This record gives sequence, C-alpha cells and structure tokens, in this order.
Amino acid sequence: MKAITRAIRPEQLREITLAALIVVVVLFFSSQIQGYFSGRTFNRVTASVAIIAVVAVGQTLVVLTRNIDLSVGSIVGFSAYFVGTQLANDNTLSPAFAIALAIGLGALMGAINGALVAYGRVPAIIVTLGTLAIYRTILVDMSGAKTVVVDALPQWLKDLPRTNLIQIGELDIRLMFGLAVFVVLVFQLVLVYLRFGRRLYAIGSNPEAARNAGLPTQRIVFSAFVLCGALAGLAGFMFLARFGTITVVAGQGMELQSVAAVVVGGVNIFGGSGSMIGAFLGATLIDLLEQSLIRWLRVSEFWRDALLGLLILLAVASDAVILNRLRRIWAQDGVSVQGKPVE
Amino acid sequence: MFHLPSALRRWETLLLAILAVVVLFNVTRSPFYLRIDNLVNVFELSIEKIIVALVMTFIIINGEIDLSVASVMGLAACVVARLHADGVAMPLAVLVALTVGLLCGAFNGFWIAYVGLPSLAVTLAGLIGYRGAARILLEDKSIGNFPEWFNALGQRPLVGPFPLALIVFFVMLIAAAIILQRTAFGRYVYVIGNNKEVARYAGIRVKQVKMRLFMASGLIAALAGVLLAARLGAVRGNTAEGFELDIITMVLLGGVSIFGGSGTLTGVALSILIILNLRNGMSLANITGNTQTGVIGALLILSVLVPNLVGRLRALRSRMRPATTGPTPQPAQEVEIS
Amino acid sequence: MIRLHKPIASLIVASLLLGACAAPVAAPQAPAAPAATEPPAAPAATQAPAAPSGEVVKAEPGKAVKMVLLPKFLGIAVFDQANQGAQEAHKELGNPEKLEFLGPTPENSVAGQIEIVTTAATQGVNAVMLSNNAGDQIVPAVKKAVEAGTKVVTWDSPIPSAEGESVFVAQVDFNETGKVMADMALSILGADGGKFAVLSASPDAANQNAWIAAMKEALKDPKYAKLELLDVVYGNDQSEESYKQALALVDKYPDMELIMAPTTVGIAAAAKAMTDEGLCDKVKVSGLGLPAEMVEYTKSGCAPEFALWSFVDLGYLTYYLTYLLATNQIEAKEGVKFKAGRMGEYTITKDPTREKGLRVLMGPFTVYNKDNVDK
Repeated sequence: MKAITRAIRPEQLREITLAALIVVVVLFFSSQIQGYFSGRTFNRVTASVAIIAVVAVGQTLVVLTRNIDLSVGSIVGFSAYFVGTQLANDNTLSPAFAIALAIGLGALMGAINGALVAYGRVPAIIVTLGTLAIYRTILVDMSGAKTVVVDALPQWLKDLPRTNLIQIGELDIRLMFGLAVFVVLVFQLVLVYLRFGRRLYAIGSNPEAARNAGLPTQRIVFSAFVLCGALAGLAGFMFLARFGTITVVAGQGMELQSVAAVVVGGVNIFGGSGSMIGAFLGATLIDLLEQSLIRWLRVSEFWRDALLGLLILLAVASDAVILNRLRRIWAQDGVSVQGKPVE
Repeated sequence: MFHLPSALRRWETLLLAILAVVVLFNVTRSPFYLRIDNLVNVFELSIEKIIVALVMTFIIINGEIDLSVASVMGLAACVVARLHADGVAMPLAVLVALTVGLLCGAFNGFWIAYVGLPSLAVTLAGLIGYRGAARILLEDKSIGNFPEWFNALGQRPLVGPFPLALIVFFVMLIAAAIILQRTAFGRYVYVIGNNKEVARYAGIRVKQVKMRLFMASGLIAALAGVLLAARLGAVRGNTAEGFELDIITMVLLGGVSIFGGSGTLTGVALSILIILNLRNGMSLANITGNTQTGVIGALLILSVLVPNLVGRLRALRSRMRPATTGPTPQPAQEVEIS
Repeated sequence: MIRLHKPIASLIVASLLLGACAAPVAAPQAPAAPAATEPPAAPAATQAPAAPSGEVVKAEPGKAVKMVLLPKFLGIAVFDQANQGAQEAHKELGNPEKLEFLGPTPENSVAGQIEIVTTAATQGVNAVMLSNNAGDQIVPAVKKAVEAGTKVVTWDSPIPSAEGESVFVAQVDFNETGKVMADMALSILGADGGKFAVLSASPDAANQNAWIAAMKEALKDPKYAKLELLDVVYGNDQSEESYKQALALVDKYPDMELIMAPTTVGIAAAAKAMTDEGLCDKVKVSGLGLPAEMVEYTKSGCAPEFALWSFVDLGYLTYYLTYLLATNQIEAKEGVKFKAGRMGEYTITKDPTREKGLRVLMGPFTVYNKDNVDK
C-alpha cells in the first residue's frame, strides 16, 4: 500500500478515481441498456463532450488561481453568433480566419474580465456575474433577433462535425473531439512543465505568499482570464459548427456546466490544486451520466435531473473522502500534499 | 472586525448615493413611479428573491455560497401544489413544504459542514437535483386552483397596501439584523467567515453554525417558494428557475465579500432597494429584457471598481504628500484576500 | 494603469457629485404623492357603440391607444416577425401612440412577463398583446391589469384558464395542429406507417403540451392506426439538449423512423444531429420549423416535410383585433365579426380547445417541402 501511495501524486490519484468512476458508470449502464457497451456510446459521448471540455480547460486555468469565470457561456454564445454571421455573409472566409476570429473575440472578452479582476481588484465572481449579463446584452442588441441559419454557412463548416480524425473499428475519433483532447493535453503540459503553469498553482494556494515571493500575480491572473476567454471563443466556434442554427441564447448555462465539470474533476474551487486531465474527466463523467440517463428506459424523463444531481454529489463526495483518507496516509509518510486539505 | 471599519461605512454611503441617483432618475422620468401601487409593486414583483437574499447574506458572510436556493423554492412550491392536488389540506401542505425545504438545507449542510465538501460543489448538485425532484412531482403539469385564502395571501394587501410577503420580509430584515449584529451567533458567522481555523481555536462550533445556516437557508427558501406559489396562483416545474444569480447579485452589490468575513445587512438592504428601483424605473421607461440585466451587471462591477480606483488615486496622492495619511483602499473587496 | 482608467474615474466623480446632491431625496419609502398624471387614458372611442353582432366591423383608424406587444422573450426571430406584422398594422391604422415591443430575457421569462404586464397597467397602457409563457401564473397580474383598465389579448400562446384574457388569437387550431403532425408523419412514413417519437420543448411549454395531447387524440383515428408513438422527450428548447435527446431516441428505439419536433429549436437540432451522424436515410425529422432554418435539411431529404404559420400575419391580425377592442369598436363576444385589413374577415368564436375563453382563428398551416421551402 505504502509503495503505491508513494508512487503516485495526489492529482494522479484524483484522475484515477475519476477514471474508475467512469468505468463503474459504463459497466452499470451496460447491464441496464441494450447495446450500450459499444462504439456508439463512445462516439456519442466524445462528440458531445468536446465543446464543454474546451470551456472547462479555460475554467480550470481561472479556478486554479482562486478565481472563477461565470461569463464563459455568454462568450461562447457571442463568439458562435458573431463568427456565424461573418461566415454567413461571406462564404469564402477561410477556416483559419474564422477560428482566429473566434479565439480573438474570446480573448478580448477574457481580457476585459482579466483587467477588471487583476488590475481593477474587483472579485472575479462580481466581474464575471456582471459580464455574463453584459456580453449577452450586447449580443442580443447586436443581433436584431436574426438567427444564423445552417443553409447560409459554408460547406466545410457543415461537414466539420462529421469529419473523422481517425477511425478505429467502431470508434470514431471526430476532429472536434481530437481538437478538444489536443487542447486538454497542451494545457496539461503547460501546467506541469511551464513556469506559467506552476505559478498558477502558487497564486491559487497562497496569493499573499506568491506576491511576497515577487511573482507578477496581476499579470498571471490577467493571462489566465485571457486564455479562458480565448478557449471559450474557440468553444464558440465549435458550438457554431456543431449546431449550425445559432440564436442569441446560444451557450446559455455553460457557466454552471463548466463549473460542474471542474468541481467534479477534482479541481479545488479554492484554487491551488487540480489538473486539466481531471477537469476533462469531470466533464466526461457528467456527459456520460446525462447520456446514459436519457437512454435508460427504466427511469422516466422527469427523474433525470434528480438523479444527475445526486450522482454529481456522490462523485464529488467519493473523490473527497478517498482523497482525505489517503492524505492522512501521506501525512504519515511525510509526502507533501498540494492544496489545502478539506476540513 | 465587529466595529465596522470606516471603509465599509463609506461603502454604504456609496450605495446610498447610487440609490439617490436611481430614485431621482425614476421620479423625473416617470409620472407613475411615486404612485403607491407602483411602490408596492417595486417590492412585490421580487419579494421572494429579497427574502432569500437576507439568508444568503449570512451564508456568504460565513464564507460559503448556496446555489440551490432557487431550486428549493421551486421544489417547495411543487410540494404544496402536488399535495393540494392530491387533496391534502393547505396548511398541512405548506407545513410539509417547509419541512422539505429544511431537509434540503440539512442535506446541503451535512455535506458541507460535516463531510467538508465545498459549498459551491454541493449546492451546484443541489441546484440540479432539487429542481429534478420538483420535476418528478409535477412532470409536465401546471397545478393551481388553490383555496381563495391562500391566493389572497399572495395577491391581496394584508395590512394597508402591503401584502403578507412584504410584511414577512420586513420582520425578517429586523430579525436578521438583530441576529447578525447583536448576538453571539451573528459574531460567529463573521469570525468563521473570516478565518475558520481561528474560529475553531476560539472554541466556536464551526460545524454546528454552518449546519444551522444551511438549514435556515433551506427553510427560508421554501417559505419564499410557498409565498411565490400564493402570489402566482399556480405552480409549474420551472417555478423560480434561475433566481439564484439574481439573489447573489443583490448580496454582492450590498458589499458582502464573496470571500466571507465582511458585509452588513444595511448594505444588502440598500442594494436591494437599488436593484428593485432600478428595475422598476427601467420598466417604466420601457427598457426591458437583456438591457436591464446588462445595466445591473455594469452597476455591480462599477460599484466595486470605482471605490477601488478612487482609493488608489488617494493613496497615490498621499504618497506624493507624505505628511498626510490617506485612507487605504477598501480592503474587503480586494481580490487576493481569501 | 491610471491613464487607462481616467475616463471612468471622472465619470465616477460626476456620479458621486450627482449622488451627493440627490441624497436628501433618498428616503427609500418616499411618501407617495398622488402623481400628477393623466389617468389611465380612457380609450378615445368610448362613444362609438359596439357594433351589433353579425355585422362586419371595419376599423376606424386614427384613434390614440397605447399598446404593448409582449413576446415570450426578446431576441428570437419569430417574435420579431410578429412585431413586424403588428407595426405594419399600427401604421395602417394611423394610431398616433407608439407601439411598444417589450419582452423579458429567455432565462427570466415568467417573472419578466409578469413584471411587464404589471408595469403596463401602472402606465395606463390600453392594451397588452401577450404571447403567454407563464401558463396560469400570469393570471393574477393580468386580472390586476384588467381591473386597472388594460385589455389583454393573447396570441401564439393563450392563458390556459382564459381568466382576464379578452380573446386569444390562435395561429392555427390546436386540434388541427395535432392532426397536421399526424398527417405529416403518415405522409413521410408512407401508408405502411411506422414508429415515431416526439421531441418537445420544455415540460412547461403549454403550447407544445396542447399540441402533443391533440396529436395523441388524433392518432386514435383508424386512419393513423399504423402510426405508433414511442415516447415524448424534452430538449428544453436548447440546441445542446435537443441534439442529445434526438440521438438518444435513435439509440433507444432502433426501429424508430421519425422524430416529430413541434418546436423550431428542437426540429433544427434534431435534423442537424441526424445529418451529422449520417442517419437521415433511416430516421426522418418533421414538426414545426422555420423555413429559413430548415432549407438545408428539407433539400437534403432529412426533413422532407414540416409546417408553420406566418408570424408576420399573426402579429398583424392580433394588432387589428386588439385595436378594435381597445377602442371599443367591438366587444370581446362570441359571434363578433371584424375586418383585419389585408387579411380579410374574422369572427370571434368560442375556443373549442379551452373550457372558457374566446378565440380568433388565423390559420391555416403552411406545409413546407422541397418545392416551397426556399420561396
């Protein structure tokens, strides 16, 4: 036992716990739903989780610094709508331009959040609760109640959601899912290997100490918000590609979905600990639960949310309980643990 | 910390100034604003939210958050409606609904206080789960036809021009102010919000205080849900959906620090007056929809940003004239403080 | 830093100054002076006697009546189309007052609609045209508005109990909607019939619930004996959820051949999901959709047939009726006939789909297919 606990880091353990939970869920529903244990379920979940996973990566960057971004849903909607309108007006715009536009728009909105939080010293929840409403208001005013319709979009965009990166037997790895995984991995590497990444943890674990140690905390928090916005912008582009028909309500509610993914993914909401892989697994677990519950004939349509809420709570609780127990073992072993223990 | 720092009092002065601007704007812009029925409407249209905002103030000062309140409101309303439709006497139905709310709060509180999970995670699950429970009860139905006395409680004035809910709010406001500012429990709420470890070493039963707060939150949210059912005269599964962010906005604009430990009910009361009057004024000026929420969002940001900047300007000026000591920028809202 | 915030800072100083000046007025519970306002303006045409029933009333233009068009929420194409129609009628009738188009946000629709109805009554608005999204929860607010002298006419979505409402302008007959959906299912699945499922908006959507109920009723007709309804699921009028639900239906019911979505969000999301997953040959999509949003899928054969009505006409007709009612040129009574400009004659009748309540039936459906979808 000791050998095992010494060999892995707490973050990895979180990820393993989540992966195990996912396996349990898959096994359980395999026994309940006919044809569930197949490539099809994999394809459904991966195609569906891609967008929220990208948003959750951005959210994680911000949450690691002991902040939160509630405006991501509005950024996703804004970016999807704005880029969609441009592409509908001019079908010849290049994919690279469209993606750059989406990311740029998102980064701009993230920069506004970041500037207010880092330099204006306004708490993140206040800033982003405000911009959640403001960005959406600008979108509604700008749109004139027009809808982006699929028919007007360029063919390459319509084809994007069904484009496979690779196909292994029954399993389709969609391009969009590939993109999401790529984003997750890149930012995981950033967290582990780049100075920027480690500084995010440092600020989140103890902002005071980080500042005293001479870290440019304001610049780092600002950058985290810019990146979060940029990723939400990218997610907006993916949203446009997947749904095609874009109204002013696009992306609504994604703020809480992304926070849920992050929290279930074991990212400490008080900053300082967590990983991209964790957030990704959190998003996957929630989507898997949703997808399974709507296919489970035994429960009626109306039971879905109640069960989902309960399962999310259980996921968070089991993660915390297991981790707490192991922390004690680690403490005895003298292994340093990142992040504050829970209670 | 129990003697309010002057910075905080300045915060309330700022809110008072904003309120004055809003009222002035409304008075000059609309001839209907000062009519008594309109002034009652200002409160009545959001009465359930502001009742819950009072208990949310305690929770946030305590350093926690409760995202599940709107779902508990909806669930309580659905319990009343379901039981009424099944022939249960109305008073009993209300009692059951309040009990359900209390249990929801206790459930939240258990995981937060005793298991030690973050309240954001627990109540986010509650937001989804309790709404789901409401859906189970009502499915795709709408239930109304409550007894006349029940509807009257929500829709007709009880004392003078004031309906029951408004009276409940004012009574609760006074009670909350006394509990928060004058009792040991109220002090504990601040101390724990400021520093949980210190509170524990000081012998405060942190877990018990948190548990009680969440139970109170559940109970009062349920009460607000029942009052909402009476005011609307009918209940559906989505009743009160999305209220949580409005409620939290009211508390934060009131100057309560999201990191716990500071804030006053006076501030929250002023913030409620600002938001309600601003909404009403905009509605009377035919400004509706997203523009309203956008303006309130901007106000929320500016209300914190402006004092910060002013404070920093002063600090800068006093640095240039080292003889005078300038007041420090408002500490409670600094981002890095946990 | 400081350079960046200078304009904001000056703005703040200005507002603080303003605030300081205004401080004495800031009593939160300002005593309510009886406001010096015009009383809830009595409609200009009280003297004009309501026409005897049987006679077709032609609107006398030029009366001043304050009217509000209140959609379920702002920012959605169909409601803007209704506003276009109402504005067209407004101009035709030469009403010197402004026609306000006010609505709540989607996430705050119920509370927002109640607030707008209440405020309209306070402002002495003569008539509110309401696409009700609050079910019977709007009733107390509407009753108070009626007491204050404001007429409430509903369109698109009625008040279920009809309390407080003058007349409902029905886009189509709700029972007819059920039959049209069954007919489309039959026409897509062919004479041999087949299995299908419904993807609806939210469980609280009164219109969708009524239409689905009507369709279930219609399916009892032996004509549709070979159609089997498998399930009703809800996508909450969100693209993401509707998309997921559509695919879940495909997985749950391998022999399902059609998804019927009586909501514009649901039908577009379902068609996109079938297209993306290459399922269009196996599962077709139908229901109520906007032609502009459905062109793509109708041409590709994924959604060969769907139906809708004109929201522009609905707004136009609603305005005419409401204008006539608000100026007392007609009464909200069974059998009253009136002329609605370019749309011709209509009659107020009992609403067969609600116990109480009157309605004006616009109709008919336009069924769209590849021949007319892009016209």
